Amino acid sequence: MLVEVIMFAGVILGYFWQPKKLSKIIGKLQLICTALLIFSMGVSLGSRDDFFSDLSQLGLESLIFAVIPGIFSVIAVFVLTKKFMKNGKEA
Amino acid sequence: MVFIAIGSLVGGILCGRFVFSGNIAGIFTQYSDMILYLLMFLVGISVGMNRSVFKKIRQYHIRIFLIPVGIIAGTLGGGAVCCLLLREKLGESLAVVSGLGWYSLSGVLVTSMVNARLGTIAFLSNLLREILSFVSIPWIAKHLNYYSAIAPAAATSEDTTLPVILKYTSADMALLAVFNGVLCSFLVPVLTKFVMTIPL
Repeated sequence: MLVEVIMFAGVILGYFWQPKKLSKIIGKLQLICTALLIFSMGVSLGSRDDFFSDLSQLGLESLIFAVIPGIFSVIAVFVLTKKFMKNGKEA
Repeated sequence: MVFIAIGSLVGGILCGRFVFSGNIAGIFTQYSDMILYLLMFLVGISVGMNRSVFKKIRQYHIRIFLIPVGIIAGTLGGGAVCCLLLREKLGESLAVVSGLGWYSLSGVLVTSMVNARLGTIAFLSNLLREILSFVSIPWIAKHLNYYSAIAPAAATSEDTTLPVILKYTSADMALLAVFNGVLCSFLVPVLTKFVMTIPL
C-alpha cells in the first residue's frame, strides 16, 4: 500500500511539474535503483544457509513452474489483446 | 539491462554467500525498502509526465482488464499443466503459480499454508519468473505485441519490471503495466488462498 501511495505522489508531481529536462537523470537513477534492488535480493538469497542445497533439489521443478505459466500467460494475453484491443498489433 | 539485472543478482548472491556477514546482509534488506520507495517515486514521476496516458484510460475502458485477466488465466492454466507434469497436487500447484511473480509473499504464504518444501518452490519459481521476464520482455515486445510483454512480469509489472517494460515498449504501456501490476499484486493472497480450497 505504501508503495502505491509513494508512486502516486510521484505521478502527481510529474503530472504538474513536468520536469522534462531531468528525464535522463531520472532514467539513470531508476536504473541504479533497480540494480541495487536486485543486488540486495541476491544478497539475501546468498546469505541463506540452505540456498545452494535448495537450488539443486528444487531448482528444476521451480524452473518448470516458472516457465510454463509464463508462456501460457504470454499466449493468453497475446490472443486476447490481438482480438480485443483497438491497436492489437501495437508494435 | 538484462545483463545488469543478472550481473547484479549474481554479484549479490556471491556477496551474500562469501563476502558479507549475516548482519550486513540484514542491513541490505532493511535499506532495500528505501531504495524501492525511491524507485517507485521516480517511476511515478515518469508516468505522471506522460499526460497522454491519462487520456488513454478513458479510451481503454474495460479493456484495461484484458492483460491481468489473460495473465491469471494463463498462469493458472500453466499451473494445472505443471500439476500433471510434476505430479504435485492440483491445489498446491495452483498455489505456487498464484504468486504471479511476487516471490517474497508467495514463499511465505505457501510455506504457512502447506510446507517449507512447497514454499521454497513457490519462492524459487516466482523469483525465476521475474528473472526470466527481464530476459524475455525484449523478445516478446519485438515479435508478439507490446501488451504481451507485460505478461511474463505479472505482479512485478508495477515496480521491478516496469522500467524494462517501458524501455522495450512505449510510454503508453506505463498505465497498463502499472494497473496490471497493482491488480495482480492485490490478487496474489486472494488467489493463493482460494486455490488451496480445491480438493485434489
